Amino acid sequence: MKKVKLGELAFARSGDKGDVSNIGLMAKTKNIYDYLQKVITPEKVKEYFGSEVKGAVEIYPVPHLDSLEIILRQSLGGGATCTLRFDQTGKSRGPVLLGMEVQVTEEMLEEAHAADEAIRKKYAVS
Amino acid sequence: MKKVVIGSGSAFWGDIFDPALEMAKSGEVQYMGFDHLAELTMALLNRMKEKNPEAGYIPDIIPWMKRLLPVTTKNNIKMISDAGGANPVQAALEVAKVIKELNLAPMKIGVVGGDDILPYLDEIRAQGWKFKNLDTGEEDIDSIRDRIAAANAYTGADLIVKELANGADLVITGRVSDNALYVGPLMHEFGWKFDDPKYVDLIAAAVTVGHIIECSACVSGGMSNMWKISERPWDIGFPIAEFYENGEAVITKPKGSGGIVNQWTVKEHLLYEIVDPANYMMPDGIGDFTALQLVEEERNRVRVINMKGKKRPDTLKVCIGFKDGFIGEGQVYFPGPDALAKAQWAAKWVKERFKKSGINFRELRIDFMGVNMLHGEAAAIEDRDYNEVGLRIAGRTNTYKEAEAVRREATHLWTMGPVGSSFGTPMNVRPVVALWPSLVPRDAVRIESQLMEVK
Repeated sequence: MKKVKLGELAFARSGDKGDVSNIGLMAKTKNIYDYLQKVITPEKVKEYFGSEVKGAVEIYPVPHLDSLEIILRQSLGGGATCTLRFDQTGKSRGPVLLGMEVQVTEEMLEEAHAADEAIRKKYAVS
Repeated sequence: MKKVVIGSGSAFWGDIFDPALEMAKSGEVQYMGFDHLAELTMALLNRMKEKNPEAGYIPDIIPWMKRLLPVTTKNNIKMISDAGGANPVQAALEVAKVIKELNLAPMKIGVVGGDDILPYLDEIRAQGWKFKNLDTGEEDIDSIRDRIAAANAYTGADLIVKELANGADLVITGRVSDNALYVGPLMHEFGWKFDDPKYVDLIAAAVTVGHIIECSACVSGGMSNMWKISERPWDIGFPIAEFYENGEAVITKPKGSGGIVNQWTVKEHLLYEIVDPANYMMPDGIGDFTALQLVEEERNRVRVINMKGKKRPDTLKVCIGFKDGFIGEGQVYFPGPDALAKAQWAAKWVKERFKKSGINFRELRIDFMGVNMLHGEAAAIEDRDYNEVGLRIAGRTNTYKEAEAVRREATHLWTMGPVGSSFGTPMNVRPVVALWPSLVPRDAVRIESQLMEVK
Protein backbone atom coordinates (compact mmCIF):
# COMPACT_ATOMS: atom_id res chain seq x y z
CA MET A 1 0.00 0.00 0.00
CA LYS A 2 1.04 3.52 -0.73
CA LYS A 3 -0.18 6.89 0.54
CA VAL A 4 -1.32 9.20 -2.28
CA LYS A 5 -3.53 12.24 -2.72
CA LEU A 6 -7.12 11.50 -3.63
CA GLY A 7 -6.61 13.52 -6.82
CA GLU A 8 -4.59 10.60 -8.21
CA LEU A 9 -7.73 8.46 -8.13
CA ALA A 10 -10.61 10.79 -8.81
CA PHE A 11 -11.81 14.10 -10.21
CA ALA A 12 -13.93 16.52 -8.21
CA ARG A 13 -16.05 19.59 -8.76
CA SER A 14 -18.02 21.50 -6.17
CA GLY A 15 -20.63 24.22 -5.83
CA ASP A 16 -23.31 25.58 -3.50
CA LYS A 17 -27.01 25.37 -2.71
CA GLY A 18 -27.72 27.91 0.02
CA ASP A 19 -25.51 27.01 2.97
CA VAL A 20 -24.87 23.52 1.57
CA SER A 21 -21.69 22.85 -0.27
CA ASN A 22 -21.69 19.84 -2.55
CA ILE A 23 -18.81 17.92 -4.07
CA GLY A 24 -19.14 15.54 -7.01
CA LEU A 25 -16.30 13.04 -6.58
CA MET A 26 -15.77 11.08 -9.81
CA ALA A 27 -13.63 7.94 -9.61
CA LYS A 28 -11.38 7.37 -12.60
CA THR A 29 -12.44 3.68 -12.88
CA LYS A 30 -15.16 1.35 -11.61
CA ASN A 31 -12.65 -0.44 -9.35
CA ILE A 32 -11.56 2.79 -7.80
CA TYR A 33 -15.21 3.75 -7.27
CA ASP A 34 -15.82 0.53 -5.33
CA TYR A 35 -12.76 1.29 -3.22
CA LEU A 36 -13.59 4.96 -2.59
CA GLN A 37 -17.07 4.01 -1.46
CA LYS A 38 -15.42 2.18 1.43
CA VAL A 39 -12.70 4.66 2.36
CA ILE A 40 -14.37 8.05 1.84
CA THR A 41 -16.62 8.30 4.88
CA PRO A 42 -18.61 11.27 6.23
CA GLU A 43 -16.48 11.24 9.40
CA LYS A 44 -13.22 11.50 7.43
CA VAL A 45 -14.52 14.27 5.19
CA LYS A 46 -15.84 16.26 8.14
CA GLU A 47 -12.55 15.94 10.00
CA TYR A 48 -10.59 16.97 6.89
CA PHE A 49 -12.48 20.22 6.38
CA GLY A 50 -12.62 21.01 10.10
CA SER A 51 -14.81 23.52 11.92
CA GLU A 52 -16.10 25.29 8.81
CA VAL A 53 -18.45 22.36 8.29
CA LYS A 54 -21.00 22.99 11.04
CA GLY A 55 -23.67 20.55 9.86
CA ALA A 56 -23.78 16.92 8.80
CA VAL A 57 -21.77 15.34 6.00
CA GLU A 58 -23.74 12.97 3.79
CA ILE A 59 -22.43 10.79 0.96
CA TYR A 60 -24.71 9.54 -1.81
CA PRO A 61 -23.51 6.83 -4.22
CA VAL A 62 -24.10 7.31 -7.96
CA PRO A 63 -23.11 3.85 -9.23
CA HIS A 64 -23.57 4.26 -13.01
CA LEU A 65 -21.39 7.35 -12.94
CA ASP A 66 -18.76 5.75 -10.63
CA SER A 67 -19.22 8.80 -8.47
CA LEU A 68 -20.04 9.96 -4.98
CA GLU A 69 -22.07 13.05 -4.17
CA ILE A 70 -20.70 14.54 -0.96
CA ILE A 71 -22.92 16.99 0.89
CA LEU A 72 -21.53 19.35 3.54
CA ARG A 73 -24.41 20.98 5.40
CA GLN A 74 -24.11 24.41 7.03
CA SER A 75 -20.62 24.80 5.64
CA LEU A 76 -20.68 28.03 3.64
CA GLY A 77 -20.91 30.58 6.42
CA GLY A 78 -24.67 30.96 5.93
CA GLY A 79 -24.56 30.96 2.13
CA ALA A 80 -22.88 32.84 -0.71
CA THR A 81 -24.11 36.34 0.15
CA CYS A 82 -23.46 36.11 3.92
CA THR A 83 -20.20 34.27 4.03
CA LEU A 84 -16.83 35.79 4.84
CA ARG A 85 -15.15 33.11 2.74
CA PHE A 86 -13.34 34.52 -0.30
CA ASP A 87 -14.64 31.44 -2.13
CA GLN A 88 -18.26 32.36 -1.52
CA THR A 89 -19.78 29.47 -3.46
CA GLY A 90 -17.46 26.68 -2.38
CA LYS A 91 -15.95 26.11 -5.81
CA SER A 92 -12.60 25.22 -4.22
CA ARG A 93 -13.98 22.50 -1.94
CA GLY A 94 -13.77 19.76 -4.59
CA PRO A 95 -10.16 20.37 -5.56
CA VAL A 96 -9.26 20.85 -1.88
CA LEU A 97 -10.78 17.44 -1.11
CA LEU A 98 -8.51 15.98 -3.79
CA GLY A 99 -5.60 16.90 -1.52
CA MET A 100 -6.76 14.40 1.11
CA GLU A 101 -4.40 11.47 1.58
CA VAL A 102 -5.61 7.92 0.98
CA GLN A 103 -3.93 4.50 1.04
CA VAL A 104 -3.86 2.73 -2.30
CA THR A 105 -2.32 -0.41 -3.81
CA GLU A 106 0.33 -0.09 -6.54
CA GLU A 107 -2.06 -1.83 -8.99
CA MET A 108 -4.87 0.62 -8.33
CA LEU A 109 -2.55 3.57 -8.72
CA GLU A 110 -1.35 2.20 -12.06
CA GLU A 111 -4.97 1.73 -13.10
CA ALA A 112 -5.68 5.38 -12.27
CA HIS A 113 -2.67 6.58 -14.24
CA ALA A 114 -3.71 4.43 -17.21
CA ALA A 115 -7.15 6.05 -17.05
CA ASP A 116 -5.56 9.52 -17.12
CA GLU A 117 -3.47 8.54 -20.11
CA ALA A 118 -6.51 7.11 -21.93
CA ILE A 119 -8.45 10.35 -21.46
CA ARG A 120 -5.51 12.39 -22.66
CA LYS A 121 -5.01 10.21 -25.75
CA LYS A 122 -8.69 10.19 -26.65
CA TYR A 123 -9.31 13.91 -26.38
CA ALA A 124 -6.07 15.79 -26.65
CA VAL A 125 -5.77 17.87 -29.79
CA SER A 126 -2.77 16.81 -31.82
CA MET B 1 -37.57 9.61 -34.69
CA LYS B 2 -38.60 13.11 -33.73
CA LYS B 3 -35.92 15.14 -32.03
CA VAL B 4 -35.89 18.63 -30.58
CA VAL B 5 -32.62 20.52 -30.42
CA ILE B 6 -32.17 23.04 -27.64
CA GLY B 7 -29.14 25.02 -26.57
CA SER B 8 -28.02 27.13 -23.65
CA GLY B 9 -27.26 30.80 -24.31
CA SER B 10 -26.49 32.12 -20.83
CA ALA B 11 -26.01 30.84 -17.30
CA PHE B 12 -25.84 34.03 -15.25
CA TRP B 13 -26.10 37.81 -15.42
CA GLY B 14 -22.76 38.70 -16.99
CA ASP B 15 -22.11 35.49 -18.92
CA ILE B 16 -20.14 35.92 -22.16
CA PHE B 17 -22.20 36.75 -25.21
CA ASP B 18 -20.30 35.42 -28.24
CA PRO B 19 -21.09 31.72 -27.72
CA ALA B 20 -24.82 32.49 -27.72
CA LEU B 21 -24.56 34.43 -30.96
CA GLU B 22 -22.39 31.76 -32.54
CA MET B 23 -24.87 29.06 -31.54
CA ALA B 24 -27.71 31.07 -33.09
CA LYS B 25 -25.67 31.60 -36.26
CA SER B 26 -24.85 27.88 -36.50
CA GLY B 27 -28.55 27.19 -37.03
CA GLU B 28 -28.10 23.88 -35.21
CA VAL B 29 -30.77 24.59 -32.58
CA GLN B 30 -34.53 25.19 -32.54
CA TYR B 31 -34.68 26.69 -29.06
CA MET B 32 -32.27 28.51 -26.79
CA GLY B 33 -32.61 29.04 -23.04
CA PHE B 34 -31.13 32.09 -21.32
CA ASP B 35 -30.71 32.16 -17.55
CA HIS B 36 -29.59 35.36 -15.85
CA LEU B 37 -30.84 34.89 -12.29
CA ALA B 38 -28.94 33.63 -9.25
CA GLU B 39 -30.54 32.76 -5.91
CA LEU B 40 -30.61 36.34 -4.67
CA THR B 41 -30.64 38.36 -7.90
CA MET B 42 -34.35 38.96 -7.35
CA ALA B 43 -33.65 41.03 -4.22
CA LEU B 44 -31.43 43.32 -6.28
CA LEU B 45 -33.96 43.55 -9.11
CA ASN B 46 -36.76 44.32 -6.63
CA ARG B 47 -34.71 47.23 -5.30
CA MET B 48 -34.20 48.52 -8.85
CA LYS B 49 -37.94 48.29 -9.46
CA GLU B 50 -38.76 50.14 -6.20
CA LYS B 51 -36.62 53.05 -7.38
CA ASN B 52 -38.02 52.98 -10.91
CA PRO B 53 -41.22 51.10 -11.77
CA GLU B 54 -39.95 50.66 -15.34
CA ALA B 55 -36.82 48.81 -14.16
CA GLY B 56 -36.34 45.48 -12.40
CA TYR B 57 -35.44 43.32 -15.37
CA ILE B 58 -31.93 42.31 -16.47
CA PRO B 59 -30.82 45.32 -18.55
CA ASP B 60 -28.52 43.14 -20.70
CA ILE B 61 -31.58 41.73 -22.42
CA ILE B 62 -31.79 44.84 -24.61
CA PRO B 63 -28.30 44.77 -26.22
CA TRP B 64 -28.44 40.96 -26.37
CA MET B 65 -31.79 40.93 -28.15
CA LYS B 66 -30.62 43.61 -30.58
CA ARG B 67 -27.85 41.32 -31.75
CA LEU B 68 -29.61 37.97 -31.40
CA LEU B 69 -33.08 38.62 -32.79
CA PRO B 70 -32.04 39.21 -36.44
CA VAL B 71 -30.17 35.87 -36.37
CA THR B 72 -32.72 33.83 -34.42
CA THR B 73 -35.56 35.12 -36.60
CA LYS B 74 -33.71 34.16 -39.77
CA ASN B 75 -32.80 30.72 -38.42
CA ASN B 76 -36.19 30.07 -36.84
CA ILE B 77 -34.92 29.79 -33.28
CA LYS B 78 -37.16 30.54 -30.33
CA MET B 79 -35.56 32.02 -27.24
CA ILE B 80 -36.77 31.48 -23.68
CA SER B 81 -35.22 34.00 -21.31
CA ASP B 82 -35.67 34.67 -17.59
CA ALA B 83 -34.23 38.18 -18.00
CA GLY B 84 -37.69 39.52 -17.12
CA GLY B 85 -36.57 39.18 -13.51
CA ALA B 86 -38.80 41.26 -11.23
CA ASN B 87 -40.52 42.97 -14.17
CA PRO B 88 -41.11 40.64 -17.15
CA VAL B 89 -43.86 42.83 -18.62
CA GLN B 90 -41.59 45.87 -18.79
CA ALA B 91 -38.79 43.73 -20.23
CA ALA B 92 -41.18 42.54 -22.94
CA LEU B 93 -42.27 46.12 -23.70
CA GLU B 94 -38.62 47.11 -24.14
CA VAL B 95 -37.90 44.08 -26.34
CA ALA B 96 -41.00 44.96 -28.39
CA LYS B 97 -39.34 48.31 -29.15
CA VAL B 98 -36.23 46.48 -30.33
CA ILE B 99 -38.34 44.24 -32.57
CA LYS B 100 -39.93 47.28 -34.20
CA GLU B 101 -36.60 49.07 -34.58
CA LEU B 102 -35.17 46.04 -36.34
CA ASN B 103 -38.25 45.70 -38.58
CA LEU B 104 -38.85 42.18 -37.32
CA ALA B 105 -42.55 42.69 -36.52
CA PRO B 106 -44.98 41.02 -36.42
CA MET B 107 -43.79 38.89 -33.53
CA LYS B 108 -45.45 37.45 -30.45
CA ILE B 109 -43.78 37.59 -27.04
CA GLY B 110 -44.95 35.23 -24.31
CA VAL B 111 -44.64 36.97 -20.95
CA VAL B 112 -44.56 34.75 -17.87
CA GLY B 113 -44.61 35.97 -14.27
CA GLY B 114 -46.41 35.72 -10.96
CA ASP B 115 -43.48 34.20 -9.09
CA ASP B 116 -43.28 37.11 -6.63
CA ILE B 117 -45.17 35.93 -3.55
CA LEU B 118 -44.07 38.78 -1.29
CA PRO B 119 -47.31 40.78 -1.79
CA TYR B 120 -49.37 37.89 -0.39
CA LEU B 121 -46.84 36.12 1.82
CA ASP B 122 -48.87 36.87 4.95
CA GLU B 123 -52.07 35.58 3.37
CA ILE B 124 -50.34 32.25 2.79
CA ARG B 125 -49.14 32.25 6.40
CA ALA B 126 -52.61 33.15 7.64
CA GLN B 127 -53.84 29.92 6.07
CA GLY B 128 -51.48 28.02 8.35
CA TRP B 129 -48.41 27.58 6.11
CA LYS B 130 -45.00 27.98 7.75
CA PHE B 131 -41.95 29.04 5.74
CA LYS B 132 -39.46 26.69 7.37
CA ASN B 133 -35.78 27.40 6.64
CA LEU B 134 -34.46 24.40 4.70
CA ASP B 135 -30.85 25.15 5.73
CA THR B 136 -31.22 25.85 9.44
CA GLY B 137 -34.51 24.14 10.27
CA GLU B 138 -35.94 27.33 11.83
CA GLU B 139 -39.72 26.87 11.82
CA ASP B 140 -40.99 30.14 10.33
CA ILE B 141 -39.97 33.62 9.21
CA ASP B 142 -41.05 35.61 12.31
CA SER B 143 -37.46 36.56 13.15
CA ILE B 144 -36.88 38.11 9.69
CA ARG B 145 -40.36 39.19 8.56
CA ASP B 146 -39.66 42.94 8.75
CA ARG B 147 -36.37 42.59 6.84
CA ILE B 148 -37.56 40.61 3.79
CA ALA B 149 -36.39 42.08 0.48
CA ALA B 150 -37.69 39.42 -1.89
CA ALA B 151 -39.72 36.22 -1.87
CA ASN B 152 -39.88 34.46 -5.21
CA ALA B 153 -41.10 30.99 -5.98
CA TYR B 154 -39.16 28.90 -8.48
CA THR B 155 -42.05 28.31 -10.83
CA GLY B 156 -42.25 25.64 -13.49
CA ALA B 157 -42.71 25.34 -17.22
CA ASP B 158 -46.55 25.44 -17.21
CA LEU B 159 -46.97 28.90 -18.67
CA ILE B 160 -43.96 28.69 -20.99
CA VAL B 161 -45.67 25.66 -22.56
CA LYS B 162 -48.96 27.58 -22.71
CA GLU B 163 -47.50 30.63 -24.44
CA LEU B 164 -45.49 28.54 -26.91
CA ALA B 165 -48.76 26.77 -27.76
CA ASN B 166 -50.34 30.20 -28.23
CA GLY B 167 -47.74 30.90 -30.88
CA ALA B 168 -45.10 32.86 -28.96
CA ASP B 169 -41.93 33.45 -30.99
CA LEU B 170 -40.01 34.45 -27.87
CA VAL B 171 -40.73 33.94 -24.17
CA ILE B 172 -39.63 36.31 -21.41
CA THR B 173 -40.12 35.17 -17.84
CA GLY B 174 -39.60 36.14 -14.23
CA ARG B 175 -38.24 33.68 -11.68
CA VAL B 176 -39.05 30.36 -13.31
CA SER B 177 -36.57 27.64 -12.38
CA ASP B 178 -33.53 27.70 -14.69
CA ASN B 179 -34.58 24.21 -15.59
CA ALA B 180 -38.03 25.22 -16.82
CA LEU B 181 -36.44 27.28 -19.62
CA TYR B 182 -35.53 23.92 -21.18
CA VAL B 183 -38.38 21.70 -19.98
CA GLY B 184 -40.94 24.17 -21.40
CA PRO B 185 -40.00 23.87 -25.09
CA LEU B 186 -39.56 20.08 -24.82
CA MET B 187 -43.01 19.62 -23.25
CA HIS B 188 -44.53 21.87 -25.88
CA GLU B 189 -42.88 20.06 -28.80
CA PHE B 190 -43.58 16.53 -27.58
CA GLY B 191 -47.04 17.27 -26.16
CA TRP B 192 -46.38 15.74 -22.73
CA LYS B 193 -48.80 16.46 -19.91
CA PHE B 194 -47.93 16.73 -16.22
CA ASP B 195 -50.88 14.65 -15.03
CA ASP B 196 -50.38 11.67 -17.36
CA PRO B 197 -48.27 8.90 -15.74
CA LYS B 198 -46.87 7.78 -19.10
CA TYR B 199 -44.95 11.04 -19.41
CA VAL B 200 -43.40 11.03 -15.93
CA ASP B 201 -40.03 9.58 -16.99
CA LEU B 202 -39.92 11.72 -20.14
CA ILE B 203 -40.50 14.91 -18.19
CA ALA B 204 -37.90 13.75 -15.63
CA ALA B 205 -35.54 13.18 -18.58
CA ALA B 206 -36.21 16.75 -19.73
CA VAL B 207 -35.53 17.98 -16.18
CA THR B 208 -32.26 16.03 -16.21
CA VAL B 209 -31.22 17.36 -19.60
CA GLY B 210 -32.18 20.88 -18.53
CA HIS B 211 -29.87 20.48 -15.54
CA ILE B 212 -27.03 19.25 -17.76
CA ILE B 213 -27.07 22.23 -20.13
CA GLU B 214 -28.55 25.09 -18.10
CA CYS B 215 -25.19 26.34 -16.79
CA SER B 216 -23.80 27.09 -20.28
CA ALA B 217 -20.02 26.53 -20.43
CA CYS B 218 -19.99 24.47 -17.23
CA VAL B 219 -20.66 21.28 -19.22
CA SER B 220 -18.58 22.11 -22.28
CA GLY B 221 -15.17 22.65 -20.75
CA GLY B 222 -15.68 25.46 -18.23
CA MET B 223 -14.80 24.84 -14.57
CA SER B 224 -13.66 21.42 -15.64
CA ASN B 225 -11.17 18.80 -14.56
CA MET B 226 -10.62 18.49 -18.33
CA TRP B 227 -9.17 22.03 -18.50
CA LYS B 228 -5.82 20.86 -19.84
CA ILE B 229 -7.33 19.15 -22.88
CA SER B 230 -10.18 21.55 -23.66
CA GLU B 231 -9.80 22.61 -27.28
CA ARG B 232 -9.35 26.38 -27.96
CA PRO B 233 -11.10 27.24 -24.67
CA TRP B 234 -11.25 30.92 -25.66
CA ASP B 235 -13.63 29.86 -28.47
CA ILE B 236 -15.76 27.77 -26.09
CA GLY B 237 -19.04 26.52 -27.51
CA PHE B 238 -22.11 26.49 -25.26
CA PRO B 239 -23.92 23.16 -24.86
CA ILE B 240 -26.65 21.78 -27.07
CA ALA B 241 -29.01 18.89 -26.26
CA GLU B 242 -30.63 16.82 -28.98
CA PHE B 243 -33.63 15.36 -27.22
CA TYR B 244 -35.26 12.31 -28.86
CA GLU B 245 -38.86 11.26 -28.39
CA ASN B 246 -37.76 7.95 -26.81
CA GLY B 247 -36.37 9.94 -23.88
CA GLU B 248 -32.70 9.74 -24.83
CA ALA B 249 -30.57 12.80 -25.43
CA VAL B 250 -27.22 13.67 -26.93
CA ILE B 251 -25.20 16.42 -25.29
CA THR B 252 -22.95 18.27 -27.73
CA LYS B 253 -21.92 21.81 -28.78
CA PRO B 254 -21.88 23.75 -32.07
CA LYS B 255 -19.68 22.20 -34.76
CA GLY B 256 -16.25 23.80 -34.92
CA SER B 257 -16.57 25.51 -31.53
CA GLY B 258 -13.94 25.16 -28.83
CA GLY B 259 -14.21 23.51 -25.44
CA ILE B 260 -14.90 19.85 -24.74
CA VAL B 261 -17.92 17.65 -24.12
CA ASN B 262 -17.13 14.15 -22.86
CA GLN B 263 -18.40 11.75 -20.20
CA TRP B 264 -16.39 13.61 -17.56
CA THR B 265 -17.76 17.06 -18.32
CA VAL B 266 -21.31 15.64 -18.29
CA LYS B 267 -20.66 13.83 -15.00
CA GLU B 268 -19.21 16.99 -13.50
CA HIS B 269 -22.35 18.85 -14.29
CA LEU B 270 -24.83 16.13 -13.35
CA LEU B 271 -23.25 16.12 -9.89
CA TYR B 272 -23.01 19.92 -9.67
CA GLU B 273 -25.08 21.94 -7.20
CA ILE B 274 -27.43 19.13 -6.29
CA VAL B 275 -28.11 17.35 -3.02
CA ASP B 276 -29.63 13.87 -3.33
CA PRO B 277 -28.79 12.54 -6.83
CA ALA B 278 -31.79 10.19 -6.73
CA ASN B 279 -34.15 13.10 -6.10
CA TYR B 280 -33.21 16.16 -8.10
CA MET B 281 -36.28 18.24 -7.25
CA MET B 282 -37.47 20.74 -9.79
CA PRO B 283 -40.88 22.33 -10.18
CA ASP B 284 -41.63 20.22 -13.28
CA GLY B 285 -40.41 16.83 -12.08
CA ILE B 286 -37.88 14.93 -10.03
CA GLY B 287 -34.82 13.59 -11.82
CA ASP B 288 -33.14 10.37 -10.64
CA PHE B 289 -29.51 10.61 -11.69
CA THR B 290 -28.68 7.22 -10.17
CA ALA B 291 -30.43 5.35 -12.97
CA LEU B 292 -29.03 7.08 -16.06
CA GLN B 293 -25.97 6.09 -18.05
CA LEU B 294 -23.61 8.00 -20.30
CA VAL B 295 -22.28 6.74 -23.62
CA GLU B 296 -19.51 8.60 -25.41
CA GLU B 297 -20.44 8.44 -29.09
CA GLU B 298 -18.04 10.49 -31.17
CA ARG B 299 -15.86 13.40 -30.22
CA ASN B 300 -17.87 15.99 -28.25
CA ARG B 301 -21.05 13.89 -28.30
CA VAL B 302 -22.32 12.11 -25.18
CA ARG B 303 -25.57 10.14 -25.21
CA VAL B 304 -27.60 10.07 -22.00
CA ILE B 305 -29.80 6.99 -21.67
CA ASN B 306 -32.15 5.43 -19.14
CA MET B 307 -33.22 8.72 -17.59
CA LYS B 308 -35.92 8.24 -15.00
CA GLY B 309 -37.66 10.11 -12.23
CA LYS B 310 -40.84 10.97 -10.43
CA LYS B 311 -43.69 13.35 -10.98
CA ARG B 312 -43.47 16.98 -9.96
CA PRO B 313 -43.78 17.84 -6.26
CA ASP B 314 -46.77 19.67 -4.74
CA THR B 315 -44.52 22.36 -3.32
CA LEU B 316 -42.25 24.87 -5.03
CA LYS B 317 -38.97 26.12 -3.71
CA VAL B 318 -39.09 29.72 -2.60
CA CYS B 319 -36.05 31.92 -2.07
CA ILE B 320 -36.68 34.52 0.58
CA GLY B 321 -34.01 37.21 0.71
CA PHE B 322 -33.68 39.33 3.85
CA LYS B 323 -31.39 42.14 4.94
CA ASP B 324 -28.86 40.84 7.41
CA GLY B 325 -26.02 43.23 8.21
CA PHE B 326 -22.92 44.33 6.31
CA ILE B 327 -19.53 42.99 5.25
CA GLY B 328 -16.33 45.04 5.28
CA GLU B 329 -13.22 43.60 3.75
CA GLY B 330 -9.61 44.49 3.01
CA GLN B 331 -6.51 42.91 1.48
CA VAL B 332 -2.81 43.64 1.83
CA TYR B 333 0.05 41.67 0.25
CA PHE B 334 3.54 41.08 1.61
CA PRO B 335 6.66 40.13 -0.32
CA GLY B 336 9.43 37.96 1.08
CA PRO B 337 11.78 37.74 2.81
CA ASP B 338 9.59 36.55 5.69
CA ALA B 339 6.35 36.98 3.73
CA LEU B 340 4.27 34.75 6.01
CA ALA B 341 5.71 36.26 9.19
CA LYS B 342 4.87 39.75 7.90
CA ALA B 343 1.29 38.69 7.16
CA GLN B 344 0.97 37.14 10.63
CA TRP B 345 2.34 40.32 12.22
CA ALA B 346 -0.21 42.38 10.28
CA ALA B 347 -3.02 40.04 11.33
CA LYS B 348 -2.12 40.64 14.96
CA TRP B 349 -1.95 44.38 14.29
CA VAL B 350 -5.50 44.59 12.92
CA LYS B 351 -6.91 42.37 15.65
CA GLU B 352 -5.43 44.68 18.30
CA ARG B 353 -6.81 47.71 16.44
CA PHE B 354 -10.28 46.11 16.34
CA LYS B 355 -10.09 45.58 20.11
CA LYS B 356 -9.28 49.26 20.59
CA SER B 357 -12.10 50.47 18.35
CA GLY B 358 -14.59 48.08 19.95
CA ILE B 359 -16.23 46.84 16.78
CA ASN B 360 -19.05 44.47 17.58
CA PHE B 361 -18.39 41.65 15.09
CA ARG B 362 -20.92 39.04 14.17
CA GLU B 363 -18.00 37.23 12.57
CA LEU B 364 -14.37 38.05 11.79
CA ARG B 365 -12.23 36.08 9.38
CA ILE B 366 -8.50 36.32 8.69
CA ASP B 367 -7.04 34.48 5.69
CA PHE B 368 -3.48 34.14 4.50
CA MET B 369 -3.81 34.32 0.73
CA GLY B 370 -1.63 31.80 -1.05
CA VAL B 371 -1.45 29.72 2.14
CA ASN B 372 -4.85 28.78 3.56
CA MET B 373 -7.51 31.08 2.12
CA LEU B 374 -9.19 28.35 0.07
CA HIS B 375 -8.07 25.34 2.09
CA GLY B 376 -9.00 26.59 5.55
CA GLU B 377 -8.27 23.96 8.15
CA ALA B 378 -7.57 21.39 5.42
CA ALA B 379 -4.14 23.02 5.02
CA ALA B 380 -1.46 23.27 7.66
CA ILE B 381 0.26 26.67 7.81
CA GLU B 382 3.78 25.63 6.86
CA ASP B 383 6.65 27.80 7.87
CA ARG B 384 8.40 28.04 4.52
CA ASP B 385 9.92 30.70 2.35
CA TYR B 386 6.93 32.00 0.34
CA ASN B 387 7.66 34.53 -2.38
CA GLU B 388 4.62 36.48 -1.27
CA VAL B 389 1.60 36.09 1.03
CA GLY B 390 -1.59 38.11 1.16
CA LEU B 391 -3.60 39.00 4.23
CA ARG B 392 -7.35 39.13 3.86
CA ILE B 393 -9.48 40.58 6.62
CA ALA B 394 -13.25 40.24 6.41
CA GLY B 395 -15.78 41.16 9.05
CA ARG B 396 -19.54 40.99 9.26
CA THR B 397 -21.35 43.50 11.45
CA ASN B 398 -24.87 44.70 12.09
CA THR B 399 -24.16 48.28 11.10
CA TYR B 400 -22.69 49.89 8.00
CA LYS B 401 -20.49 52.07 10.18
CA GLU B 402 -18.74 49.13 11.79
CA ALA B 403 -18.21 47.33 8.47
CA GLU B 404 -16.70 50.53 7.10
CA ALA B 405 -14.34 50.62 10.11
CA VAL B 406 -13.15 47.10 9.22
CA ARG B 407 -12.40 48.15 5.67
CA ARG B 408 -10.71 51.31 6.82
CA GLU B 409 -8.52 49.62 9.42
CA ALA B 410 -7.21 47.30 6.71
CA THR B 411 -6.17 50.31 4.64
CA HIS B 412 -4.17 51.65 7.59
CA LEU B 413 -1.81 48.71 7.14
CA TRP B 414 -0.71 50.37 3.90
CA THR B 415 1.49 52.73 5.87
CA MET B 416 1.75 51.00 9.23
CA GLY B 417 2.48 47.44 8.14
CA PRO B 418 5.86 45.75 7.71
CA VAL B 419 8.21 46.88 4.97
CA GLY B 420 6.91 46.08 1.48
CA SER B 421 3.20 46.12 2.43
CA SER B 422 1.45 46.34 -0.95
CA PHE B 423 -2.10 47.27 -1.74
CA GLY B 424 -4.57 48.11 -4.46
CA THR B 425 -7.98 49.75 -4.61
CA PRO B 426 -9.92 48.98 -1.44
CA MET B 427 -13.27 47.23 -1.71
CA ASN B 428 -16.57 48.84 -0.82
CA VAL B 429 -18.63 47.70 2.13
CA ARG B 430 -21.48 45.51 0.93
CA PRO B 431 -24.93 45.07 2.45
CA VAL B 432 -25.86 41.44 3.06
CA VAL B 433 -29.07 40.02 1.65
CA ALA B 434 -29.23 36.59 3.22
CA LEU B 435 -31.07 33.62 1.80
CA TRP B 436 -33.89 31.85 3.60
CA PRO B 437 -34.63 28.83 1.40
CA SER B 438 -38.09 27.43 1.93
CA LEU B 439 -41.08 25.80 0.27
CA VAL B 440 -44.52 27.06 -0.70
CA PRO B 441 -47.58 25.08 -1.80
CA ARG B 442 -47.73 25.09 -5.62
CA ASP B 443 -51.42 26.07 -5.57
CA ALA B 444 -50.70 29.15 -3.47
CA VAL B 445 -48.51 30.74 -6.16
CA ARG B 446 -50.47 32.98 -8.54
CA ILE B 447 -48.61 32.39 -11.77
CA GLU B 448 -49.73 34.44 -14.75
CA SER B 449 -48.90 34.95 -18.39
CA GLN B 450 -49.92 36.89 -21.47
CA LEU B 451 -49.17 36.98 -25.17
CA MET B 452 -47.87 40.36 -26.30
CA GLU B 453 -48.34 40.93 -30.01
CA VAL B 454 -45.80 43.24 -31.59
CA LYS B 455 -47.25 44.64 -34.80
